[in-house]
Order: sequence, then structure tokens, then C-alpha cells
Amino acid sequence: MAERNTIDRRLRISGALVTLGLLIQLGSLLWTHPTAFLAFAFLGGPLVIAGIAIFLYSLVSVQPDEP
Amino acid sequence: MITPATLTVLIFVVTIGLILTLLFRPRLTGTRGGKELAFVALFLLPLVSGGLGLSEHFERSKQTTFCLSCHIMEPYGRSLTIDDARFIPAAHFQNHCVPADEACYTCHTDYVLYGGIRAKIRGLRHVYVQYLGKASQPIHLYTPYNNRECLHCHLGARSFESDATHSAIRDDLVSNQLSCLTSGCHDGVHNVAQLGNLKFWSGAH
Repeated sequence: MAERNTIDRRLRISGALVTLGLLIQLGSLLWTHPTAFLAFAFLGGPLVIAGIAIFLYSLVSVQPDEP
Repeated sequence: MITPATLTVLIFVVTIGLILTLLFRPRLTGTRGGKELAFVALFLLPLVSGGLGLSEHFERSKQTTFCLSCHIMEPYGRSLTIDDARFIPAAHFQNHCVPADEACYTCHTDYVLYGGIRAKIRGLRHVYVQYLGKASQPIHLYTPYNNRECLHCHLGARSFESDATHSAIRDDLVSNQLSCLTSGCHDGVHNVAQLGNLKFWSGAH
């Protein structure tokens, strides 16, 4: 049960980071300006990558069930 | 018709929708199907969205409006409407000898294997200088303008090849020994310092 809660929490954090990153990237696509590219690459990008990393970590950090 | 930009936005929206579903119903990931959905929504789709978004930004960075959105480029944009055919960029822009919506990129990209990538890297440096550095006044090219960029279109064209002057100095032009722009033949370029004394074309109506 505790394991499940930990996974859920990590998924929430991951989802929130990826969503925020994607929203920033989506917003940047509505604007044709060098600043929009900066926001896409250096603000949205790291948030998405961090979210994906936490998601992948949540996958590999799951303890296998005891026999 | 769905344009690449619309498709990109659609994929972003679908991805965000799927992630929000997982955020509000995390128990979905308790099932095998839910785990697969999480993998798609939190790993595959964000990567695809990011790739498409990056590609879209790269495409936009070729646009004339993108280049001219920086204040320092304003006079160069204005020089494209000089009402005098002796000014090469203006004549090319106004007569659509270059795509009007990608005018800067067409002439200022090196036509070599990695020319496009080099242009992007230089673009990043320009952004850095715009926000954190100090641009030189007046701004200048990194290297003297290479004839290769002119000859990319003009070499082999009848108007170029049948011109007696071009024929006489063809080898020097091709080898870049004699500059098209600074040799006295086509020296009317952006000439931003003279803009106050020139007439301008008001554009197509």
C-alpha cells in the first residue's frame, strides 16, 4: 500500500512537471519571437525532461513483491 | 487542411489531456492498460511533442518576421523596401527573387552541408547577445559575404551566364576571388546608414 502511494505521488509530480513544461512549450508556439524559442528550449524543455526522468525513476524504483 | 503547426498543437493538447487524466485518476496506473497509458502519456508523447515543437520553432526561425522581431534588425527590414533596384536585397525582396517570407534566411544561410545548423547556432548566439551581451554597432557579418550564396541561385541562370561582364570574370566569381558585392559592381546592399536619404516602396496593395 505504501509502495502504491509512493508511485502515485511520483506519477503526480511527474505529470505536473510534464504538463507545466508542455503548457509553456505550447504557449511558446503561439508567439513568433526569439524569446519564445528560449522559453520552449530552456524553460519548457527542462520541466518536461525532469518529469520524464521522475516517471522513469518511478518505474525502476518499484520493489518487486515478496514471494 | 491540417498544417504541421496545427498537428503539433493537437498532439500537445492530446498529451496534456492524457496526463491530466492520469493526474486526477492515478489509480488507473494500477492496471496493465493504465501503465501502458502512463508510458505513452508521460514518456512517448512528451518526446514526440517536444520534437515537433522544436521542428516548428526551427521552421519559424527562418521567417523574415522572426528576424525582424529584434529591434536591432529594424533598419535592415526597412532596407528591403528601398525604392531603388540598385540595392540588391530590396530588389530581390520586392520582386520575390527570394521568398519574401524567408528573405533573410535565404541570403544569409551558408549553402554548404551544415549551413543550416551553423545558422541556428549563430542564431542562438544572437539571442544571447540580445539579452545578455552587447551587440556591435553597426552589426556586421561574421565573415565577408561569400559569392557562393549569390551563385547558389544565379550560376547557370540565363540572366547571369549570358551577361558579358559575368562571363569575363566568371572564374574569379566562382572561386570567390572577386566579390559580387564589394568589387564595385553590386555594392548597394542594406546600406542602413543612408536610409534617411532614400525613398521607399510602400508595398503591394
